[in-house]
Amino acid sequence: MAFEYLPMMAQNSAPRPPRILVKPSKIAWCVLSKPLIRSRVALLTSAALRLPSQPPFVPREDLSFRRVPSDPDTGPVVIDHHSGIGAVPKTDPEIVFPRAALAALASNGIIGSVSPLHFSFMGGLRQHAEVEKELAPALGHELLRAQVDLALLVPY
Amino acid sequence: MNKVVAPRAVFVDHPVGRTFGPPHDRERNVAVLATVLAELPEFTHPGMVRDLGCNWVRDGSRTWEEELRAEMVREH
Repeated sequence: MAFEYLPMMAQNSAPRPPRILVKPSKIAWCVLSKPLIRSRVALLTSAALRLPSQPPFVPREDLSFRRVPSDPDTGPVVIDHHSGIGAVPKTDPEIVFPRAALAALASNGIIGSVSPLHFSFMGGLRQHAEVEKELAPALGHELLRAQVDLALLVPY
Repeated sequence: MNKVVAPRAVFVDHPVGRTFGPPHDRERNVAVLATVLAELPEFTHPGMVRDLGCNWVRDGSRTWEEELRAEMVREH
């Protein structure tokens, strides 16, 4: 039995109306073109996560995204998302943004390679049409440019 | 997840905000991520949600739910 998050999320978002779950206008599906062992993998996170040197995300309807270097040695990241569950992941963003874990899988030959960049945006946006028409295509373009085969979105 | 029809989705039954395990547990981060990616060949059509059978604690106890409720109330 899964934990029931939605009633608590709705309560926490009050007095604003609860968020609604929206089905995309076009269902996405791509057939896998390569086995995992030869695939380049990128992370997408909705934690509004960024390098300290990058501009902060603006609560709450920020449609921008940040490019985050995939090399864990490039330094720490910070989480701007306003969620009420942020205290723990802010102590270790790796538990929502497994940058080092993905690098380890590449080193162990489980995946082909890691994209040079991962991508971060603000989760919980209410501008669904803008997400579909602006943010998602922009991220898709970035993934194509990085020659990514698999993108793993970790919801926050 | 069913409602938003992600192309491929997996359910990791961990507390929200701790998808890949407890803080600073790198071995578990890697194990969860490897399990997620290993599921890829099982997807045959968009909208499938596959339960990875992850337990937050080894014995399957759900006591973490009360702790999470308290945390969410406290942080709100």
